[in-house]
Amino acid sequence: DALLPAPQNITILSTNMKHFLTWSPVIIQGETVRYSVEFQGEYEREYANESWIPICECSLITATVCNITEDISATVAYNLRVRANVGARRSEWGALKGFFNRITTSLTPPLMKVIADGYHLLVELEDMGPAFQFCVLYWKKGQESRMQQKVVKEVSSVVHLDTMEAGPDYCVKAQTYVEAINRSSSFSQTQCVRAQGGTSMWLV
Amino acid sequence: LTAGNKIFHFGPCRVSISMTEIRSGFTAIKDNIQARDPIRTLSILSYPHSLHKVKSSDRCCVTHHLFNFYMDKVFKHCKTEDSYINRKISSIANSFLSVKRKLEQCHEQNKCMCGQESTEKFKQILVNYEGLNVTSAAIKSLGELDILLDWM
Repeated sequence: DALLPAPQNITILSTNMKHFLTWSPVIIQGETVRYSVEFQGEYEREYANESWIPICECSLITATVCNITEDISATVAYNLRVRANVGARRSEWGALKGFFNRITTSLTPPLMKVIADGYHLLVELEDMGPAFQFCVLYWKKGQESRMQQKVVKEVSSVVHLDTMEAGPDYCVKAQTYVEAINRSSSFSQTQCVRAQGGTSMWLV
Repeated sequence: LTAGNKIFHFGPCRVSISMTEIRSGFTAIKDNIQARDPIRTLSILSYPHSLHKVKSSDRCCVTHHLFNFYMDKVFKHCKTEDSYINRKISSIANSFLSVKRKLEQCHEQNKCMCGQESTEKFKQILVNYEGLNVTSAAIKSLGELDILLDWM
């Protein structure tokens, strides 16, 4: 039996603290190739004889992607590896080049909807999970120097920002903040609304 | 403070800890681990005195000692036949390692001083630990993690 080639092009896709390991498929004519994934945190390297831990949800799978979010649950450097299996045959391990630390996750601006409910300035924020806080900035158009800030630690349905005067436009933008890695996203697009006696007016 | 992180103030030592992640990891395995501990009459962390008796000035040092204790003497002896349990222990252990590093920085900057009382308290914990065989002591200590987390 020819040796099974190890998976190649092993990479991590990490966005907004959701982490996925991906690799190129191993092609063996007429065979179904399955894959198994293992991880190793800094604790395992330094205290547990460099042991590896299998991820059972990604054991003997045919997909070439594995959701490792639940196992990457500390801000330390992780090693990851994957190998191919065909029947009883196994490849060598293919390892991620370098470590992965969740501090490198890419953070995108939050989805946001600004609502003028009568004279009330409200904002609806995307629920991105318990790791996320939001910093919301709002101001009267033209008075950027008097920008106000509201930190939203846990997303409820709608957040009340201010009571508006009739006439001027009110503008809002928001960014996420993840304390576990002490990083913020860039700001969202600015959205402006105006209060008009209880009817919503969208001005972008 | 978010549901995720918590800033702990041990005197001049400030440490941000992902408490939710540690607690959810422990909650997932608590019943399983505690069921493996047949000796209910003993406590590693709370005998003879509860952690709550530790003076606030000694809290940083005791916390630092305990995080080292769990890294050096507990997690590595808790390997089970259950892959899910092992993954959760890894999750907690890696989070502990991240916190231990921060406490170490405080210690090196003399912000986490050890008094006589904290040294005595930690010695007692080691005596309790060494009174059992390693695996039993490690499993019992892991099962008592909520005592540490609640005290913190």
